Amino acid sequence: MSNSSPVAQISGSGPAPVTGRLHYANVRARSLLTAKLRLLWVILGFAFFALTAFVRIAQLGWASQSAEHGALADALVPPRAEITDRNGVPLARAFPSYSLWFNPKALGTKGSPLVKTPEEVARALVQIFPGEDYNDLLARLKAGKPTYLHRRVLPEEANRVFALGEPALEFPRETQRFYPQGTLAAHVLGFVDADGQGKLGMEEFLNARLTDPAHRAEPVALSIDTRVQGAIEDELSHEMLETHAKGAAGVVLDVDTGEVLALASLPSFDPNRSDLADNDHIKNRATNEVYELGSTFKPFTVASAIDAGVITDMAVRYPARPLQVDHYTIHDSHDFGASLNVPEALIHSSNIVTAQIADKLGGQKLRDTMIALGMNQRAKIELPAKGFPIWPKGEWPRLRTMTVGYGHGLAVTPLHLAQGYAALVNGGLWRPATLFKVDPAHAQPGRRVFQPATSARIRQLLRLIVVDGTGKSAGAQGYRVGGKTGTAEKAGGHGVGYTNKHAVIATFAAAFPMDQPRYVVIAMLDEPQATVATSGQRTAAFNSAPVVGRLVPRIGPLLGVVPDGKRDVDVSDLTPLVANGDGE
Amino acid sequence: MMMTARRLRSIGWIATLVVCAALVMVLAFRVNALRSQVHQSQARIIELKQETAYLETEFETRASQQQLKAWNDVEFGYVAPTAGQYLNAERELAAYAKPPEPGAPAPVRVASADDAAADAPAMVSPMTGKPMAVADSGDAAPARLIAASADGDDTPAHPARHADAGLTALGDKLATVHHAAPAHHAAKATTAKAKTAEAKPGHHAEIAKAHKPAAHDTRTAAATHHVATPGHAPVRLALKEAKAIK
Repeated sequence: MSNSSPVAQISGSGPAPVTGRLHYANVRARSLLTAKLRLLWVILGFAFFALTAFVRIAQLGWASQSAEHGALADALVPPRAEITDRNGVPLARAFPSYSLWFNPKALGTKGSPLVKTPEEVARALVQIFPGEDYNDLLARLKAGKPTYLHRRVLPEEANRVFALGEPALEFPRETQRFYPQGTLAAHVLGFVDADGQGKLGMEEFLNARLTDPAHRAEPVALSIDTRVQGAIEDELSHEMLETHAKGAAGVVLDVDTGEVLALASLPSFDPNRSDLADNDHIKNRATNEVYELGSTFKPFTVASAIDAGVITDMAVRYPARPLQVDHYTIHDSHDFGASLNVPEALIHSSNIVTAQIADKLGGQKLRDTMIALGMNQRAKIELPAKGFPIWPKGEWPRLRTMTVGYGHGLAVTPLHLAQGYAALVNGGLWRPATLFKVDPAHAQPGRRVFQPATSARIRQLLRLIVVDGTGKSAGAQGYRVGGKTGTAEKAGGHGVGYTNKHAVIATFAAAFPMDQPRYVVIAMLDEPQATVATSGQRTAAFNSAPVVGRLVPRIGPLLGVVPDGKRDVDVSDLTPLVANGDGE
Repeated sequence: MMMTARRLRSIGWIATLVVCAALVMVLAFRVNALRSQVHQSQARIIELKQETAYLETEFETRASQQQLKAWNDVEFGYVAPTAGQYLNAERELAAYAKPPEPGAPAPVRVASADDAAADAPAMVSPMTGKPMAVADSGDAAPARLIAASADGDDTPAHPARHADAGLTALGDKLATVHHAAPAHHAAKATTAKAKTAEAKPGHHAEIAKAHKPAAHDTRTAAATHHVATPGHAPVRLALKEAKAIK
């Protein structure tokens, strides 16, 4: 250190006082300067350390606040948002599954990529995955190109493949779209194709929302109730098997909010096998296919006539003999005697009387009612697959009015029917159906189609049909079910003529509980056959109505409808008008 | 002297500086260690959450609606409850405990495991290890009680008799199957009643006819309590079920 030298110089400069004093002053100034410099260095050093420490602490604080949190959130955000049912049961979610990947370079570039022969490996793989094709696997193993051999490999299958001792068979873990409920609600959900794009159903409708990075973490809740969906699919497939029907469709709709609690179309497909999903079964019979739904339309005609003041007295009798209109004769399924009143006509499902009511009502008014019920446009729902109704254009001639009055000449989807029945029984308000959960406080206001008094009368009539008429087998005890059967012959090609008498669409449109309707249930069977299980009949009373009769007790308690044998809608003013309710 | 002080001071400064630097380093290390710990924990949380989601998905798949239905078809055979299985309110449930009205037809007894109570071994005295002698007379007591209530005499019934008759009716109506534990209870109750009967042979008729407040002695109260116990369990169960169903 040099700070000792000035002091040594001071002590050694005694003999020259003048120069010594000057020298002293110089030395003093210099040492002061040195001291100040050193102080400055020390302060700078402290400042540097303090700054470093401060910056470091601040950095730590900031970094741990954002980076860590982001990493945590990112790791748990699925690549595609989850879809759940109304109770939070996952219907579609990201699932890390194993895939079987063939990597020919695993053993180096020289020599065979496999330890055993490709034939042996292919045979062993077919034993593990019976669905795979031996020749196809063999070709892929021999080609020597990296490729997927199988997707969605279960852990136990992966273990068995691993036991083969082939290093070229790898198991990359990939996040894929998985539907835990299998084929349940497949038409509502749709599927995700190999490119990660949603196809069909809500996967397609919500594609942008589900893949949006800002919203991926939040699941989308649908209005579907998994248990109700399971029950309706079960009952419909059971009936389909019993009647050898080609297909079936079912809808459960909340009459006050328009929420679809279940929407089934059978036969179904497995969205987990998106490679196989692109087949005939993806046709949605509930929203995409249109059918003439027959007698289930009669309550619309009657309601429209009550609303318009055409029917003022339920006791008025109409002739029930075959009706000749423009070279066409309208028949009933049976002879119900000389005349029928309105309740009897509905109970027996009389085409003749309904045609007369439609005629009295007039084409314009019936047409207006049908338009108000949305029967002239695609059903209002989020699904992309929506069929356009076969809607008679222009003015309806007399015969057309009459046939539409009993559900022929106008083809709609079962969802149209469900929406119409909701308006019939809920006090007369039509609401669009939705697959999103709706807060009851913010339900759509709906548009008025029928007067509340008309709706009340229709509730009585629908209940009578189940108590005394064609819908007896839908009468689940205590649930106050009301509804209407409909059996319509299927039109031939291009909607012309009815060529096959045995090809029918059997529908039962119901609502429960009739004293305060909460849910509409539609059950439709496509070409049911007459079997022993249906007493040799193919009409809705013997196949679709029992489906509702079995379904309602299964879903009622789940939906908060408690059966009560001591309550019912009051039909005492109508019962005296009904002579004998033998059906269809 | 001055030199030493200065030197000391500067050494002191340097030492302070070094200590501070060391402290900052220690702090930095500790912070880093903690940070990596937090990071590890977070990684573990993510791992566990993913594992949970994985297991949840597996559970949902294995317990899918179709799978449950298949199990129910083969294994359980549960069916939807019928309207008769629902009660609207506690009032309706309480109506089951009402004793039969005078002149009402005797309740239809269906085959049930109630007889198991009769077959239960008689109570063994804890002192002697031998069956207690009172068991025989005890069996007769409730029978007499029921007989008395079925007579349809118009005298106001004693609470004990009331409860007994009411609960018998309730048991019949609910078709309760008494298994091991309730049977044991019933046996105890029988014995307790037997004691009452034996201790006051003359008094028993009074209990049956029942208008004296004096009948409310402690032993009768005990009997009432015991008789009530086996009946209470099904009531509570039924209530629980009703709530679960609703």
